[in-house]
Amino acid sequence: MKRLLNMAIVIACVAAPAAAQDKKGLVWNDRPSIVFGEDVSLDIKGRLLMEWRTFNPEIGEDTFHLRTARLGAAGELTRHFDWEIEREIGEVEQEDGTGQIAFGEWKDVYLRWETFDAVRVIGGRFKMPFGLEQTTGVTELDFAYRALGSVALAPGRDRGVMIFGDLGRFSYEAGVFDDDGDNGESNEPQFVSDGDDLEDVGPSFAVRVTGDLLRLVPGIGRLRSANLGIAYTNSKIPEGLNSLRGESFWGRDFFDRVYVKGRRQRLGAQFEWTPGPASLKAEWLQSREQRNEQSNRDADLSDYIGTAWYVAGTWFVTGEDKDDNVNPRQPLFKGGPGAIELAARYERLGFASATTAGTSFTNPRADFLTPNSDTVFTAGVNWLTSRWTRVIVNAIHEDLEDPARSPLAGTTSFWSGLVRLNVVF
Amino acid sequence: MTKTLLAIVVALGLGSAAAAQTPDDLFNPGALQRIELWLNSSDWAKLKAAFQENTYYPADVTWDGITVRNVGIRSRGLGSRSSTKPGLRVDFDRYASGQQFLGLKSFVLDNLTQDPTGVKETVAMRFLSRLGIPAPRETHARLYVNGDYAGLYGLVESVDKTMMGRVFGTIDDNVQNDGYLFEYNYVLGSAWRFGYEGANLAPYKARFDIKTNESHAESAIWGPIEELVRLVNNTPSSSFEATVGPHLDLGAFVRYIAAQNFIAQNDGFNGYDGMNNFYFYRLEDSPSHVFVAWDEDNAFLQPDYSITLRNDDNVLTRKTLELPVYQAQYFGVLSEAAGSASEWLRDEMQRQLDMINAAMLSDAFKPYSNEDHAAARESLLAFAPARISYVRCEVAKQAGATRPSGCQ
Repeated sequence: MKRLLNMAIVIACVAAPAAAQDKKGLVWNDRPSIVFGEDVSLDIKGRLLMEWRTFNPEIGEDTFHLRTARLGAAGELTRHFDWEIEREIGEVEQEDGTGQIAFGEWKDVYLRWETFDAVRVIGGRFKMPFGLEQTTGVTELDFAYRALGSVALAPGRDRGVMIFGDLGRFSYEAGVFDDDGDNGESNEPQFVSDGDDLEDVGPSFAVRVTGDLLRLVPGIGRLRSANLGIAYTNSKIPEGLNSLRGESFWGRDFFDRVYVKGRRQRLGAQFEWTPGPASLKAEWLQSREQRNEQSNRDADLSDYIGTAWYVAGTWFVTGEDKDDNVNPRQPLFKGGPGAIELAARYERLGFASATTAGTSFTNPRADFLTPNSDTVFTAGVNWLTSRWTRVIVNAIHEDLEDPARSPLAGTTSFWSGLVRLNVVF
Repeated sequence: MTKTLLAIVVALGLGSAAAAQTPDDLFNPGALQRIELWLNSSDWAKLKAAFQENTYYPADVTWDGITVRNVGIRSRGLGSRSSTKPGLRVDFDRYASGQQFLGLKSFVLDNLTQDPTGVKETVAMRFLSRLGIPAPRETHARLYVNGDYAGLYGLVESVDKTMMGRVFGTIDDNVQNDGYLFEYNYVLGSAWRFGYEGANLAPYKARFDIKTNESHAESAIWGPIEELVRLVNNTPSSSFEATVGPHLDLGAFVRYIAAQNFIAQNDGFNGYDGMNNFYFYRLEDSPSHVFVAWDEDNAFLQPDYSITLRNDDNVLTRKTLELPVYQAQYFGVLSEAAGSASEWLRDEMQRQLDMINAAMLSDAFKPYSNEDHAAARESLLAFAPARISYVRCEVAKQAGATRPSGCQ
């Protein structure tokens, strides 16, 4: 593993001088890249995200945390195809209790055909088209962490095939997937008799349509450039303790999984507007899971519902345009201040049952589930020191609805803060 | 406030039947109860398959026309755990803080797998209660799961804050149930006889599972136990009562071990493998501790069970009984027990055996045959008169008094 990391560093160093030379062989193109010819290339990619954190009250989390370390490659294969592979790197505990750096789970692994803008196809392992923030790369986020709903309700990556493209002012994505995304994996296999097979969640279907709908509305000025979208997923969930669940900002359960059986559906709406140096984003997500034959007497229960939303705004005080590839006008290492962005987000994630009649229980087979939610406010500063490095400072306040189901029983209000260093090439 | 409202809602939901019933009715020793559990069929299968785990499953419970919804049940027991006839703990407030049933937070369904008579536990607990030992109320119940007969069970009051309130009563409107309650944890392969294990609290924490005030500091929970054990071990006889007395109700302790000896409980405080099967309670706002009886289904071992068996093995028993006043009390309680038993014990055994007879014979999940049950039943009924005679003879012998006629 160390050899791989060393190799990546060596390639980066060797490639740098080549950037100014011809565009074949080992070159630097924002990252180390091997160019074999026109439209045939291989880029080396790496991400390292480290953070220092503080908590009030203490909830037993480490002060230093290696959030993400990934190594990957991407490239073009003629003008018709591109591809990417990326894998997590992390510390794996050995039998003797010591830690050893090793490869972890695969992230993106796909081949994409994109001859035509209107009809493109991607196959492999990639993110299902649901959730504006979930489908934004971890290093492109406006905050250190995604909103709770983007993690708890949006499915994330899965194996599948998807068709997508642009049709005028609209873009579409529609795919079929093996399971229901990494975030929707089953927890408890269906209880089966000897000889029967275990079931997993899926297969699932997902579709998203986005577009500049507001351009059709007269008299709204710059807001006409805003992008709107809706998304939907549908998957089969086997019997078991397999529902989605609520996790607080730092990963503590505030709503345990409940017994489900039937279908899991998600509905999402997204809004994105980036006028100049500012941005405004909002999402509303809802999951709905059936609980057929799951009562204490094998009868159907009302649906289990997860609902999340957030509103987030950012502003580059140094004046850079907010787009997908922000570069500081005056990088720190060239004598400038870098790019400085202020950010704030207000969000909520909650779970409940469709039924709200009678007495509520936390029992995973209750018809009326005692609701619980987590409301979070995040304020932050992003300091883009160069194209490849970013420092993120976030202050986070959480407020849980049910004191009995919080990281510290009886406490509902939590403060935390972090300083994150992103190094990406 | 939320808990109060929930209790009111649950009470209203139970309807008029609940208003007429009390825990005394539920644990009425003269009634063979019928308890119905309703739980998802896959959960019942899972509970039986994973009977060694303490995983909770949601269920509805019905008794005497009253249904409590969304309680938590789990497999329980040590050696009695069973995949075919699981012992069960029923927690009413598992999924709704403050939910109670007849004022109870929980009860236990004892699967009776280790006692072919089916009545040793219930008879022993009633007898200990007659002698003034804090003990749970118990009776028998036919258990139905999802409408099917699941076997004969012992219905046992949980040793918890509610029971401590019942046993220790109220002083100036203050229910005496805010003390520290411990369940003794028998550590397999580490028999313990009250020897001092050092100032570190870890060994005491391992042996005494805290059941109330769990959030308090370890020093507040287990520190007084370490102190008690240290004082018992290090205090000479001359100052034993004055030093240890404030930390342990010595009179109640002697009554407890004498009563347990009378019923020939081989797996109790002075058990064959060290101490076992009891709760320990530190009274509210007091350094004093008392013992609470638990799990007596190994009682009635044999009529000639020595009345001083292993009394020298346990440090607390030995040092307490070295004092003449407590030694005299010990034999006095044995005589008192023999007197109490002569009027009651065999008749109670017979009554309970008759009460459970049909339910026991039709229990297809018990791990013994009906022939085994019949033989154990006869042996148990013979125990009572023989034990009374034996104890009376042996107590007289110890006291140097004239022995009753018929003594060997």
